[in-house]
Amino acid sequence: MDDLIQNILICGIGGQGVVLAGKIVSLAAFESGLDIKTSEVHGMSQRGGSVSTHIRYGKKIFSPLIPENRATAILSFDIYETARYIRSFANEKTIIISSNQGKIPSWTSKNKNDKIEENGNGFIDADAVAGLLKANFKFLNLIDDKKIAEDLGNIKVSNIILIGILSGFTGIKKEIWLKAIEKNIPQKTADLNIKAFLTGRNYYENKIF
Amino acid sequence: MQYDNITGSYNSNALLTGNEAIASGAHKAGVYIAVGYPGTPSSEILPFLAKFKSAIVNWSINEKTALEIAVGASIGFKRSMFTTKHVGLNVASDPLMTLAITGVRGGLVIVTADDPGMHSSQNEQDNRLYAKFAKIPMLEPSDSEECLNFTAAAFDISEKLDTPVILRTTTRISHSRSIVSQPDIPGAAVIFKPNASYSEHLNKPYIKDIGKFVMAPVYAKKRHKAAIKRLEYLTDFSNNSGINKIEYGSPDFGIVTSGISYQYAKEIAPSASFLKLSFSYPVPNILIKEFVKNIKNVVIIEELEPFIQNEISSLGINLKGKEYFPRDGELNPDMVERGLGEAGGFIAYESRSHSKNNKPGFDDPGNILETLQPRLPALCSGCPHTAVFYALKKLRVPVMGDIGCYTLGALPPLNAMDTCISMGLAFGAAQGLSLTKSSSKKTVGIMGDSTFFHSGITSLIDAKYNNISFTAIILDNATTAMTGGQDHPGTGRNLSLNQSVSNKIDIKKIIEGIGINEIYTIDPYDYNKTFKILKKALESENLNVVITNRPCVLYPKKLDCGKKFEVLKGCPGCDLCMQIGCPSILTSSFFNPSGNKRIPFIDASCTGCSICKDICIFNFIDEIKK
Repeated sequence: MDDLIQNILICGIGGQGVVLAGKIVSLAAFESGLDIKTSEVHGMSQRGGSVSTHIRYGKKIFSPLIPENRATAILSFDIYETARYIRSFANEKTIIISSNQGKIPSWTSKNKNDKIEENGNGFIDADAVAGLLKANFKFLNLIDDKKIAEDLGNIKVSNIILIGILSGFTGIKKEIWLKAIEKNIPQKTADLNIKAFLTGRNYYENKIF
Repeated sequence: MQYDNITGSYNSNALLTGNEAIASGAHKAGVYIAVGYPGTPSSEILPFLAKFKSAIVNWSINEKTALEIAVGASIGFKRSMFTTKHVGLNVASDPLMTLAITGVRGGLVIVTADDPGMHSSQNEQDNRLYAKFAKIPMLEPSDSEECLNFTAAAFDISEKLDTPVILRTTTRISHSRSIVSQPDIPGAAVIFKPNASYSEHLNKPYIKDIGKFVMAPVYAKKRHKAAIKRLEYLTDFSNNSGINKIEYGSPDFGIVTSGISYQYAKEIAPSASFLKLSFSYPVPNILIKEFVKNIKNVVIIEELEPFIQNEISSLGINLKGKEYFPRDGELNPDMVERGLGEAGGFIAYESRSHSKNNKPGFDDPGNILETLQPRLPALCSGCPHTAVFYALKKLRVPVMGDIGCYTLGALPPLNAMDTCISMGLAFGAAQGLSLTKSSSKKTVGIMGDSTFFHSGITSLIDAKYNNISFTAIILDNATTAMTGGQDHPGTGRNLSLNQSVSNKIDIKKIIEGIGINEIYTIDPYDYNKTFKILKKALESENLNVVITNRPCVLYPKKLDCGKKFEVLKGCPGCDLCMQIGCPSILTSSFFNPSGNKRIPFIDASCTGCSICKDICIFNFIDEIKK
């Protein structure tokens, strides 16, 4: 990422911790002394809907919303949501840090007559989405975050692992990131979350993806 | 310079949401009482203010009562604030319209958080029209810093000009974070200390003034004249207070705007001249005339209604705005760019002009996106509302619904609620619909506990009074869930530490008090029993009430039964379990024995409510034995 305005879009499913991740990333940018604006989603869509948080930082920020196809980075906790948001926000240079897995809703308003259509119509394999992403983005990081998080001891820290990877692409110091994480999580989970962050950071530094 | 997170130091900056900044501004102004009813996007203001421990901060039963509490506090010479979402101001509009002519004693600020784009609302009404309707002033902040400063200033304006003041935000102001210089932050050693602007006349003992507060015709006629006269003072203030500002840039191109639209316009056309309306009602007639005299092409950018446009046009100045920007939904930087492009003659957004014609450099992922299913919000895994809606779906009865998480019961696959119009509508609409006899089935009215307190009690009394028969269902999950788990009279808790002892109001006793004798209490985790009791209640010819008794799985704390369920081998893929819309039940990549259907699986987010086991009549769902 260069010195211009950084536009980070965080997306996922309501309840996955998109708002919390947004708080961590924005606090890190704020602590590094930059102007910053964010926009969050609360209320109805937080009940399992598709949600996103916009974070913009740089010398001077006006709009809290990221303009079309101007995301510097997309951080996504669900691969299907990655697919949903790239069309509006990504360009060929966008750094994509995404879980390689996703939940597909078993139900949709597209289904007719209150019946799920035969042959699981509408079911897209996560691999198909991964293929689309691989074909189009040079700076793509598809991460088996749930697995790594389980190995660390708690699937809930998968978000922090992805934040660790994102941190590498920003000019913001590691110490500031750690402080931003500690500020936003329960004290008793601090060790685990720091470990998760450093695991992600290590991925970035060693380019394991 | 920077806000120290460890010490929470005063002399530093902070990154706050608009809502947090409003709370900080109210604290700075020495607000004495702050009340409201939760509603997205306004809900976080009162909890943040309560953390300062400097004011009496409480959730009220509904918006009308909240505003009336604020009015009483103002009559008692104290500063008061009322917070609401846009539609909540409709509920409080009765006291508002007359408060507008009585004026105030202690400063009274009404915060209305509008929701253009309807992120979490049933309409996108533009509450700026209330300011004009009530002839009262309105402030519109554009970022968190202004949220703080304008809130604090609003109390002064209220007292100085003897008027309630509306502070109007939108979702993108309330839920955006931006930097605020040196705000008070709760948690630090904050002592209740009214600032210097806190007027001296406050803290007086109560005195009567019937000419001001008894709006019988004889006095109201005089007060209405006073309110009309007040508009002149308010217009002077709008012109001269310095809150409304002209920022001269290009002499060829100017923008009149307010609120979040200002930020989008600055982003897209930074070199244009700006008339930023922060005190946006009444509009500053002199500043507007000056602006259009000095700038060649002027365009108005505003979300929703042509409010500024109509005000300016009533000055005899015709400017364009809604010709280029939609009247529905919210704006964003790209819509502003396109609209300005149509308007012509503006200075392009420098920093992005270099790649203006570039398409995003990847293949249009159209095919996959077209197949990708929309992700609608859904009831949570283990939500106690699920079983009730599934049973109602099976019973095929007309269901007059309401506003809350349970509105999601109207969406597929449950499809079991037929209305969502206003808060508290369900029991009134159930009465009306059953009177029409347009359905052969008994009508159901359904609402949550917080909604019942908000405005369901009155319509249930009305039904009993008029001897109307329908089945009223109260989904009592012991919280106001959709807005984030706020307390209400049924929880027995409230925000303010000054009132740590709140009384818990018993819903069942209220209903008994009305004289309704047929009351069923059900455990919605037992689907079969839930179905049976609902069927019985619907077969009865009485006005009866069914109350569910399971708490919300998210608030006040996450609940989990400690069990997990699985789909067993041999599942034929009949999809019955998918009909409850549980987010833990997903489509797997495996097929059924006959190879023509994908079978479901239950993932680790299962909270063990067991409803799906009850629903799978073929017994292919069972608890995972450890």
